[in-house]
Amino acid sequence: MAEQLRTEEMMVNMGPQHPSTHGVCRLILTIDGEVINDCVPVIGYLHRAIEKICENRTYAQCIPLMDRFEYVTAMSCNWVFALAAEKLSDIEIPERAEYLRVIMAELNRMASHLLCIGVTSMDIGALTPFLYTFREREMILDLFEMTCGQRLTYNYIRVGGVSRDIPPEFVPMCRQFLDIIDAKVDDYERVLTENPIWIARNKGIGIIPEQMVYDYAISGPSARASGVNFDIRKHDTYSIYDRFDFEVPVFYGCDSYDRYRARIAEVRQSARIVRQALDGLPDGPVRAKVSMNFKTKPGEVYTRIENSRGEMGINLISDGSRKPFRVRARGGSYNHLMALPDIVRGTKIADLVAIFASLDIIMPEIDR
Amino acid sequence: MTKEQLTRHIKENFSAELDVIENEQPEPYFIIKADNLVKFCRFIHDDPGLVMDFLMNLSGVDTGERFEVVYNVCSYRLKHRIYFKILLDRQNAEFDTVRSVWPAADWYEREVWELFGMNVRGHPNLTRFLLPDDWDEGHPLRKDWVGKDVIPFPER
Repeated sequence: MAEQLRTEEMMVNMGPQHPSTHGVCRLILTIDGEVINDCVPVIGYLHRAIEKICENRTYAQCIPLMDRFEYVTAMSCNWVFALAAEKLSDIEIPERAEYLRVIMAELNRMASHLLCIGVTSMDIGALTPFLYTFREREMILDLFEMTCGQRLTYNYIRVGGVSRDIPPEFVPMCRQFLDIIDAKVDDYERVLTENPIWIARNKGIGIIPEQMVYDYAISGPSARASGVNFDIRKHDTYSIYDRFDFEVPVFYGCDSYDRYRARIAEVRQSARIVRQALDGLPDGPVRAKVSMNFKTKPGEVYTRIENSRGEMGINLISDGSRKPFRVRARGGSYNHLMALPDIVRGTKIADLVAIFASLDIIMPEIDR
Repeated sequence: MTKEQLTRHIKENFSAELDVIENEQPEPYFIIKADNLVKFCRFIHDDPGLVMDFLMNLSGVDTGERFEVVYNVCSYRLKHRIYFKILLDRQNAEFDTVRSVWPAADWYEREVWELFGMNVRGHPNLTRFLLPDDWDEGHPLRKDWVGKDVIPFPER
């Protein structure tokens, strides 16, 4: 009887205002019953023309714009832009500033992964892990707040160093946080990793074969969950990452579940790096002398850093004036959303939410 | 491979002409003839010594006199990268799509088409992307495009 029923394709708009799209993203779905036959992402709702505005600002004024490029890990955005400007000039970054940059970026990575894990679980219907991860994320945001006064858009990493030194209470509070985070990650794992519902919703869902990683330039934890062993911190190292001892967790499941496990493993590795950086933190100045009218040499550079959602890069073209000539910001989510139609074709609508969340897509990074 | 080895390898094995630009950056820098673009991309993607499988970034540039398209490519497997670009006339700027080599070029090229007004030959889906559907005010990332309420930053 069921085989004789005629089914018809239907178009459904998911978004732009949908709680699980993590921003303003519209997906035009062609569905047949519960099965997705096609998916077309429509983007641009958050387009703020950051690249165009940068062409009309000095380098120092571009840094706060970069905060808005990807506000969940604003430290990395500041850093990648500062790195590009520094590569085109001869500024010597003080040692202490390099360590502070690593500490902040790694704390920011942990905060971002905690957000992703919490939000993924909430999207799937488990509210408790969300409250757990946000509790620890709050501690990281407190550390940022005591350092630069901001909780989300820091404007902390500047060309030539960082904007100010950490307060004296920072190091003990950070150590206190690192002491508990490992136990807390164990807690999340106890709630999620072996949870039969979590496994049923994530395992074997949202398969990204290794070839698709290359095709769509997928990067970060999503690539490492598909067996691609590549971490910019290790394989195209920048700043002082070559001084720290850490591992690059690689998983081979290619599914949402392994993307979650890759993030959990990275939180632990980041804690390891922060611990080493706190131990090695030298004294000294935190910022090189950089004038208000800072100018780079004319030239072109592409810098990239390992962000929590993959490769974050800046293609900076300078004509030697005090404003950048052209800035192209590249974020990992852009490529993940590009690959989404290929990933979700043939899956169920309910899984789309889990897949979207597991890719850790953040819309401002795409729309810029 | 180091920068010098990469440069030499590409110069020796690629059959058409290309210019090498010297700079202080860690990756080699080439200028390709726009007609050879797809051939070059196919070459660096397939060559067993290069395996450029990862299109990191693609950006359009308007220098005022001409258009450029910059490609940043790296190899996931061999961990090296290169920087190359093509130069185009400002009138009737056109270049070929490289979607056949890296499918990731799809959105990047759409963005260049929309924000610079360069035509991408062979791209199947050149439709509104970042800008509103009813946008009719030209191509914002061109240097001669100035927004209505933009106060130019003082040159000093």
